[in-house]
Amino acid sequence: MKSMLPILKGGLALAAAMVLGGCAPTYYVDRVGCPAPCAPVPDSYVVLIPSPDGTVGNVVVAGEKGEQVLNKSGQAATLSGQPFAVDEKRVKDDFGAAMAALPRVPVRYVLFFSEGVKLDPASDAEISRIVAEAKGRPAVDVTIIGHTDTLQSIEYNDKLGLKRANRVAELLRERGLKTESVSVQSMGKRNPVVSTPDNVFEPKNRRVEISVR
Amino acid sequence: MHKFLAIVLFVLSSAVFADEPVGRVKTATGEAFITSSGNKAKAEVGSPVYQGSLIETGKNSSLGITFKDETMVSFGANTVFTVSDYVYSPSDGKLKFGSKLAKGSLNYVSGAIGKLKPEAVTVGTPSGTIGVRGTQFLVTVAE
Repeated sequence: MKSMLPILKGGLALAAAMVLGGCAPTYYVDRVGCPAPCAPVPDSYVVLIPSPDGTVGNVVVAGEKGEQVLNKSGQAATLSGQPFAVDEKRVKDDFGAAMAALPRVPVRYVLFFSEGVKLDPASDAEISRIVAEAKGRPAVDVTIIGHTDTLQSIEYNDKLGLKRANRVAELLRERGLKTESVSVQSMGKRNPVVSTPDNVFEPKNRRVEISVR
Repeated sequence: MHKFLAIVLFVLSSAVFADEPVGRVKTATGEAFITSSGNKAKAEVGSPVYQGSLIETGKNSSLGITFKDETMVSFGANTVFTVSDYVYSPSDGKLKFGSKLAKGSLNYVSGAIGKLKPEAVTVGTPSGTIGVRGTQFLVTVAE
């Protein structure tokens, strides 16, 4: 019971502050006993916004005052785990600089190989587009990961995936790719895009994935 | 041509640290610093970020970083952020991204680690922990 008293007092102070100053109550949700009525004291909070692809995931905010799951755009919580209301203007004021500094969203490409390390014609044409995309980015990094279908052994496919990835790296460089770093890797047959039993021919799995960021 | 067949090739690597960078600065305004393995350097477009790097932005400064798994983080002024734990090895399923925001403002866009293993992505703050399940969010920590 004792511990409730400061909260009650704080609640009264909050109500008084709102009546006297007419300030937005949202600023005081987590500010029981706010010392300076109407001064928009900075708070520590999290607010969920849509991802660059338009989807909204969720975040779980856990602190000493509880746990909040945020799963709607614009939903917020204090870092100590309480619900928190925040309007668009305040989000802009608090995060405008951070949002403006967000890097360009990375782009992914998938190129296909119907046979060995020979690129399909459509994928070959894509090489120049990848080079152009990389050129427009500051301090660009590129990751090239080779994949195979499930024909043959793991060892064979690890090597084949690496050969495919290296072939793409070579083509990108021949057409003028300049980067901070290129990382070439192979996942062999471990990460098929179409799941199949072992030893199955599947052209969609004979591919190289490229991340330009 | 053979040099290009190396597993990992850094065209412009500073080669100061033995470890491979886990991310890189893509946007920068004003004065910001990155401290990696005890070495503090001015953060500029192209600066590498390592597991363990401490990132600080000053007054009127901002910074944006893209990590290997395509996670993006960007900061407004007067921010202190640590890359405490970064592991991105999808071929053997080793994935982790733990970070800490001590103060300032952060815009976070989760990448492949958040998609493949959401429970392995956390942002610590002075008053709690944020678990990230594949999304974009903003955090501010008041001083």
